[in-house]
Amino acid sequence: MSLLGGGIFKGMAVTLRNFVGSYFYKDRLTTNDYSWRPSDKLPQHAGEYPKEEGEQLRDTTTVTNYSRNFPMLLHDGSEPMDTIRCVACQICERECPPQCIYIEKSTEKKENAGGKPQFYPAKFDIDVSVCMSCQICVEVCPFDAIVMNSQFELSTPDRFGGLLLRRDDLLKSNDYYHNIHPEEAAARDKRIAEEKAAKEAKKKAAAEAARKKAEEKAKADAEASEGTPDIQEDAE
Amino acid sequence: MSLELIRDILVATVPLLLIFPTLFAFTTWLERKALARIQNRIGPNKVGVPLTRYGGRFSLFGLGQPMADGIKMLFKENIVPRDADRLFHLLAPILALIPAMLVLCFLPIDFPWINNIQDSVKAFMLDGAVIFFFAITGLNTLAVFMAGWASRNKYSLLGGMRAIAQMVSYEIPLVLSAVIVVMMVGSLNAAEIANAQAGWNWFIFTPWGLAAFIIFFIAALAETNRSPFDLPEAESEIIAGYFTEYSGFKFALFFLGEYIAMFAISGLAVTLFLGGGAGPGVAALPWLSVIWFLVKIFALIAVMIWLRGTLPRLRVDQLMGFAWKFLLPLSILNIFIAGSALHLLAGGRLAGLDEKQPILRQLMEGANPLVVAGLWIGALLILYVAANGLNQLSRAKVRPREYKYAE
Repeated sequence: MSLLGGGIFKGMAVTLRNFVGSYFYKDRLTTNDYSWRPSDKLPQHAGEYPKEEGEQLRDTTTVTNYSRNFPMLLHDGSEPMDTIRCVACQICERECPPQCIYIEKSTEKKENAGGKPQFYPAKFDIDVSVCMSCQICVEVCPFDAIVMNSQFELSTPDRFGGLLLRRDDLLKSNDYYHNIHPEEAAARDKRIAEEKAAKEAKKKAAAEAARKKAEEKAKADAEASEGTPDIQEDAE
Repeated sequence: MSLELIRDILVATVPLLLIFPTLFAFTTWLERKALARIQNRIGPNKVGVPLTRYGGRFSLFGLGQPMADGIKMLFKENIVPRDADRLFHLLAPILALIPAMLVLCFLPIDFPWINNIQDSVKAFMLDGAVIFFFAITGLNTLAVFMAGWASRNKYSLLGGMRAIAQMVSYEIPLVLSAVIVVMMVGSLNAAEIANAQAGWNWFIFTPWGLAAFIIFFIAALAETNRSPFDLPEAESEIIAGYFTEYSGFKFALFFLGEYIAMFAISGLAVTLFLGGGAGPGVAALPWLSVIWFLVKIFALIAVMIWLRGTLPRLRVDQLMGFAWKFLLPLSILNIFIAGSALHLLAGGRLAGLDEKQPILRQLMEGANPLVVAGLWIGALLILYVAANGLNQLSRAKVRPREYKYAE
């Protein structure tokens, strides 16, 4: 049995480490200090960092391994629309709590990365001003087509169009996903491969069983045609 | 009323009205700074000495921030919603501040100037000081609901309703854990309770006292609406709860009242469990007891801030379940344990005790060390096992998430 209330102390140790560490390690402090800069070197809006000489800017796409912000759509190859994983099943659209996803299904099917004809989203919009980053769309997706992106600097001067991310803005390659969330992406790929292997093994087994059955049937038929009465009775 | 009495009353109260609001200003700065550092930010660091430009040189770690905040609050527009009940909307912040300020008098802090005044104006010498403390802090609930109701705003009303449910529920374990101390001292007089712990006889060092202190502290967090029990003002759910419709100086009064209540309840915790002004060097230098008292209050407030930076907010059902299914049975059990322990220690001597002296100290004199050690370990064990069992029983049942459309 773990110590009662031990989780609280564990959490307090984490915050204490942050508190003390922020005084000793400069790279812990993520905020930039603009206060006494001349006005022409101030950012015009968030996300646009002015660079002074010798100033290191952070790469905002790879903040940490575990940051999750808004969903993105995955594709496997170099041509996004030829290898998109999404088949426009609209489960995420219906499951989304704030209803920020809008999908329009294509009218005709197209071959996907696996060479199978599938529907694809003609439209896939996410309103990031409504999205609450709950990740439920990721949980429910049966095709591993939607995952979380860690990009957070989405501020824009256009508050309507700029905050509505279209399908083509959301499409990101699997390589990009591996780049921002290596552990999660590797685990997901492994699971997909395993599921695929299991499916194929099942298919193979089924095919094998069918073949065997057919063989036995053929054999039985052949024996029946030979016409020994005992066996015929047994078969009945 | 004689002139001397008026003078004594002023001497007893006015310094408190100056000291604690000053400490409040410092605490807001401390809280913002500590929370920022916990989140790897810098926190306020610009406002320094007033009327100097280039604040960077005189910024003093942003210590001028509370003053700037105060000036801002004073000059902000006082907005009252059109449909609000104007009278009660005005009265609520005042009523929130008054009880908080009032109970500061019940803290037995030996300020140097307080020795020269007559005992009758020292509130903490009152024979029912602890009862009075709880009675007056209970008024705070009324102020909060008044604010929620008078604002005529659904978020305010929700915050007020939550506050009532929470404060009424947590008042009970709060008072029941204070009962332990009253049992060990045999008095409700705050000064006598503090004196009974002189030296290192703090009640937190007894098993039932430790359990009572933990229950008291948790309940105190809930009473003062501190995180993780800040449901009445949960920003992410109901905007600002009961003070959604307050602005300017009325908002500042609420804010002040909340922090003063924090000081008051921490002060009571220090009086009841942490030895009051007791500490090293007090015997030689009596004025040190004031320092020790304030240091202990600030230690408790630092823990409150630390917890605020660590724990997420509870759900409403978890909050109520925790009070009624965990804290309440545990504090009642704790009273039984403390009572049986005192009885076992006494071994038939209870009737012959001196009423003027603290009960526990009289019982400890001449007690068998082996019996004491056995009692201590046994009580700790029972309390721990009981807490674990209650935890298992009171835990909310967790179901996996159900999806509507996905398989």
